[in-house]
Amino acid sequence: MDEKIIRVKDLKKEFGENKVLRGVNFELGAGERVVVLGPSGSGKSTFLRCINRIEEPTAGEVYFSDTLITDKNIQKIRQDIGMVFQHFNLINNLTVMKNLTLAPVILKLMNEEAAEKKARGLLKHIDLLGKAEAYPASLSGGQKQRIAIVRAMMLNPKVMLFDEPTSALDPESIGDVLSLIREVAKAGMTMMIVTHEMNFAKEIATRIVFVDEGRIIEEGTPKEFFEHPKTLRVKEFLEKVL
Amino acid sequence: MDNFFNKLVELFTTPQYIDSLLHGFLLTMQISFFAIIIGLVLGTIIALIDTAKKSKWMVLPKFICRVYVTIIRGTPMALQLFIMFFVIFAIRGFPQIIIAILAFGFNSAAYTAEVIRSGIQSVDVGQTEAGMALGLSRFTIFRRIVAPQAIKNIIPALGNEIITVIKETAIVSMVGMYDLNMAAKDIGSGQNMASYIVPMFVAALFYLAVIYLITFVIKRIEKTLRKSERRA
Repeated sequence: MDEKIIRVKDLKKEFGENKVLRGVNFELGAGERVVVLGPSGSGKSTFLRCINRIEEPTAGEVYFSDTLITDKNIQKIRQDIGMVFQHFNLINNLTVMKNLTLAPVILKLMNEEAAEKKARGLLKHIDLLGKAEAYPASLSGGQKQRIAIVRAMMLNPKVMLFDEPTSALDPESIGDVLSLIREVAKAGMTMMIVTHEMNFAKEIATRIVFVDEGRIIEEGTPKEFFEHPKTLRVKEFLEKVL
Repeated sequence: MDNFFNKLVELFTTPQYIDSLLHGFLLTMQISFFAIIIGLVLGTIIALIDTAKKSKWMVLPKFICRVYVTIIRGTPMALQLFIMFFVIFAIRGFPQIIIAILAFGFNSAAYTAEVIRSGIQSVDVGQTEAGMALGLSRFTIFRRIVAPQAIKNIIPALGNEIITVIKETAIVSMVGMYDLNMAAKDIGSGQNMASYIVPMFVAALFYLAVIYLITFVIKRIEKTLRKSERRA
């Protein structure tokens, strides 16, 4: 039972002169919940975004299961990689219901009826069924993000990537969003989360990865990481944030 | 004031004058209508090339579009009209109306392209990223997500461009075409300076009426498109 869902080999990303990722090696096993920590500008969001090629890597390889991700196959593979963004990115010109059903229907994974049924079930679960016909502009940040999470789940992804899912939220909504992520985790979803919520990281992660200056410089279980950090850089970081 | 009304009545009761005005008005509308259509089609094509993903196949088309837009926007419309009439289409017997339509159409295309380009680029990149993350194709993302949002940004500025074209066609009188502007001048000429007042006032009303109507229609379209922004 050592199935790897994602493998990353020597991943590099440069924005012009700016080297954001300087060779990242990483593996994500089925059922793992990896929290990516690091100072701002360390490249952790870019790392996540390079996995499903929202950002085009400059060099390196990313494998999904055993398939090397290329420009040709990425579109299909993205169906299996759910993504949740910092700024929610609900589609503004579509109702909540259409936000959920658009992709599964267009990708012919479900017919309209089945998609709507599933969407209603998920919306009911997060107590937002009443907003099914509303447009995103009428929703609060917390509502948008919870809908974005269930939108990603509509495609039954094998892994979910969360890119700072609570950074743009007010404190009250953060709790709602975190409990939904917790629920998704409990259901056995494999996930990667970039976050600044240290307590949440401690609680939900099976492994912590620390990124600094474009490299993974330390990783370990939450207990190891928070209680016995190995590197000076992580010690400094933890002193500042805890 | 009495005199003004008398002249007004005279203008509207003299078949020859009415005829001239309507002929001029018709020509203005014909040139404007077809120029706007050409501008929209060509402008959309230029904007799509301009906003397309960078690749080695797109380098030359993108460059050509940039040069085209730069030249058209960087030179006077009147000069472009002269060049079309006296250089490119200096062919005896070639229909003047077609030359004028092409001149205004090619000009409008450059402005329309900029309006559409900025409309597309003003859509938050997060919207495209959401579509990508959901496994949708670039085409689907454009058609279902980006284009509907871009249109909301484009319509008001496009309305502006349409109005500009209609008014700008008045310069065809410079190459001797008998449009609404020319008709007004023609009716007023041959008497004294004061005789220009009434026909020009009437021509202004014609322009104003058409543009008012277009503004009204554009506003209605904007309102309909804005429904997804409504809160609650």
